[in-house]
Amino acid sequence: MAKRKINIRLSDFPNSTYVFIVAFVLASVIVPNFFTPGNITTMLTQACVMMILSTAMSMCLMMGCIDLSLGGMVSMTGVIIAILLKNGVHAGIAILAGIVSGTAFGMFNGFVVTKMKVPPFIATFGASGIAQSIANTISQERTISWEQGSHVKLVNLLGSNILTVYFGPRPAQILSISALLLITVIIIAIVLVLFKKTTLGSNVYALGANEETARLSGIDNVKWKVGIYALSGFLASLAGMIVMIRTNSLQPTVGDGLEFQAVVAAVLGGNSMKGGKGSVPGAVLGALTLYTVRNAMSLWGIDTSVVMVVIGCILVFGMMLNQVVNSLAEKRKLYRRAEGREA
Amino acid sequence: MEKLLEFRNISKYFPGVKALDDVSFDLYPGEVHVIVGENGAGKSTLMKVLSGAYTADSGQVVLEGKPLEKNSPKISEEMGISMIYQELNLVPELSISSNVFLGHEIKKGIFVDKRAQKKRADELLKDVGIQVDSNTLVKNLGVGTQQMVEIIKALSKNAKIIVFDEPTSSLTESEIRELFRIIGLLKERGVGMFYISHRLEELFEIGNRVTVMRDGKHILTDEIKNLSMSQIIEGIAGRTIENLYPHTRKERGEVLFEIKNLCGEKFKNVSIKVHAGEIVGVSGLVGAGRTETVRAAFGIDKYLSGEVLVQGKKVPPGRPDLSAKMGLCLLPEDRKVEGLALSLNIRENSVISSLKLLYPRGIINDQLEQGQVEAFVDKLEIAASTQEKLTRFLSGGTQQKVVIAKWLMSKSRVFIFDEPTRGIDVGAKSSIYELMDQLVEDGAAILMISSDLPEVFGMSDRIVVMSGGELVGDVDKQETDQNAVLHLAFSNV
Repeated sequence: MAKRKINIRLSDFPNSTYVFIVAFVLASVIVPNFFTPGNITTMLTQACVMMILSTAMSMCLMMGCIDLSLGGMVSMTGVIIAILLKNGVHAGIAILAGIVSGTAFGMFNGFVVTKMKVPPFIATFGASGIAQSIANTISQERTISWEQGSHVKLVNLLGSNILTVYFGPRPAQILSISALLLITVIIIAIVLVLFKKTTLGSNVYALGANEETARLSGIDNVKWKVGIYALSGFLASLAGMIVMIRTNSLQPTVGDGLEFQAVVAAVLGGNSMKGGKGSVPGAVLGALTLYTVRNAMSLWGIDTSVVMVVIGCILVFGMMLNQVVNSLAEKRKLYRRAEGREA
Repeated sequence: MEKLLEFRNISKYFPGVKALDDVSFDLYPGEVHVIVGENGAGKSTLMKVLSGAYTADSGQVVLEGKPLEKNSPKISEEMGISMIYQELNLVPELSISSNVFLGHEIKKGIFVDKRAQKKRADELLKDVGIQVDSNTLVKNLGVGTQQMVEIIKALSKNAKIIVFDEPTSSLTESEIRELFRIIGLLKERGVGMFYISHRLEELFEIGNRVTVMRDGKHILTDEIKNLSMSQIIEGIAGRTIENLYPHTRKERGEVLFEIKNLCGEKFKNVSIKVHAGEIVGVSGLVGAGRTETVRAAFGIDKYLSGEVLVQGKKVPPGRPDLSAKMGLCLLPEDRKVEGLALSLNIRENSVISSLKLLYPRGIINDQLEQGQVEAFVDKLEIAASTQEKLTRFLSGGTQQKVVIAKWLMSKSRVFIFDEPTRGIDVGAKSSIYELMDQLVEDGAAILMISSDLPEVFGMSDRIVVMSGGELVGDVDKQETDQNAVLHLAFSNV
């Protein structure tokens, strides 16, 4: 077999790669205590939830939809799992219940969007309110915690570290990889493989680029949209589970605003709000960028209320970067065409 | 030879309309069967019956001697019927091979076998003689190559019948050549093709037989060699159009519009003068920089140097609003996207550029508006029951008239038409041409970009030719012919 040509161009990577590298290097240089094993551990663990949510969001965006109920679903599924644990249900069953309810809720979103023909923005915005209210009602707006016992063994197991590397005796010098991080990485890897190696990817792109094209090509629009929303709900429920395990208790408003951050991450990763383009790894890197910035800012002692300002700025900046990259690509294309190298 | 396909007495009703009325004709293998007719004549409806998107109310579609009992897009595809639509149906972010196999991927278990897909796509590309790597993303391809990808997609499904719906409307001359070459290739292999087009000149070049439809009825089917252009036009319009191009030379007035040494990214040193009472045709290949030049002249895009004058006064660059105020207007190629607000009605679209003129105090007066618009609706013979009809529901020709009404209302005197009759049927075409003639009669100046050579020759007084971003010719119509203009158009590619 002929050797495969390796041809990597800078523009092949999502923008967020560069934004992330810049943010990370800047933070490492400027902020003391940022580039320590301990802090990297904290940051990665905190970013798990957002990495998963931005994966879900980027798929919805690529499909030409949006899922604004992600945050609501995180709260809802988290509360469901936590309340079951509190009532002594076995952790495995509790988590399963959370995942099933999240997936079902996602399917409901897909159903409203496809069958009722409600625009995705409105449909999922409404759903977000519904999910959050369910969370508030079940929890009676109180933080839920549970007693230790044999039924929560699984939770403790998932909350533990699977690998700890000591660079020194102080906490800042300890790098630990938690089971949650491993789960996150595995889940994202599975989604990526499905996206790249099955028809999932091309169908999502086709739906986002032009629904009519998809339909005429024999793609069942309803099936795929409902499927992607269900996947989105599934991922949100995993995020809910991760939050709950990480904080070892659950505030019912934990998911509040996460969908907004997920949009920021996805857009930073080159996803267009119009659909038809973008990438999952880009969104994941976008999520990492967000958490790098948040983490660095809090280490630097900047008030958390300013964080939203900065995130807003990053979003606008990301959009501008998309625009610049697009026009550069366009120019290069013209240039190549002028040289006659392209058909 | 055995018939590949036969329509038998097909009728289809929509509420209030008989879209297809007892239509019968057939298709042989290896034949290009051209279907012509005005918009709304029933061509698309018939093709949708063929593809299974619509079900006929009566009549049969007979495929290779067997009537199709049930039909759906999926079934017709499996039976080897492929459609290539005017708006290409490709996904820009995917590669050629992924597009070709979209919806019928080659799989290994649940995974897509990308290697096999690429191999097959490369074979198909090579088979029709196109040199592109099938891993190339579709967004990086020109429109012509994208169309080839559509054809490859049909071939990958082993299509026996391919329907082309206005395939050449956005292709350049050389891309059209390439398309015709491939159609010739398919002919030899026994693929039967329906070919729908408004460009009648094409029919004689590639068609074997032609079917004319009008108002949902089948008018005639015959060998193309037995027919003349005027017979076909008569069949389409249902009346004799003496002369498709009514334009006569008018007395030339002062210079109304002038582009002086305009340079931009995709054009350089373009100078064009247009006098009052004159139509100047801009000929050239797609990509010659014609649209870019007029867009810059109107102020939509930036230009690097040069100037634009209307009645001797300089038009400020980059300000379409001020250009419009000075009496310059641009009627874009893509009416639906750039020319009209489709969700607004005829009246609202007509006054959109002249609100300040109509209402200097900023207070809207519906009655005044209605009266004003009514005058233009009558003058332009805009075919609609009411001004309140949404422009989305109008035919291409009527939409173009609304765009013209819009600029007439804002008292424009220099009209730049970019492909004024693209996608417009022959009846509406002739009335647009009459309107253009009327405009110059009234002392306006028209600059008309057109890729349709007969149109350029039929309507212009003077022809300027652009090639590779430069002006390569400026000739009086009388002193040149189509061949000479084509030569110029290719001179600087």
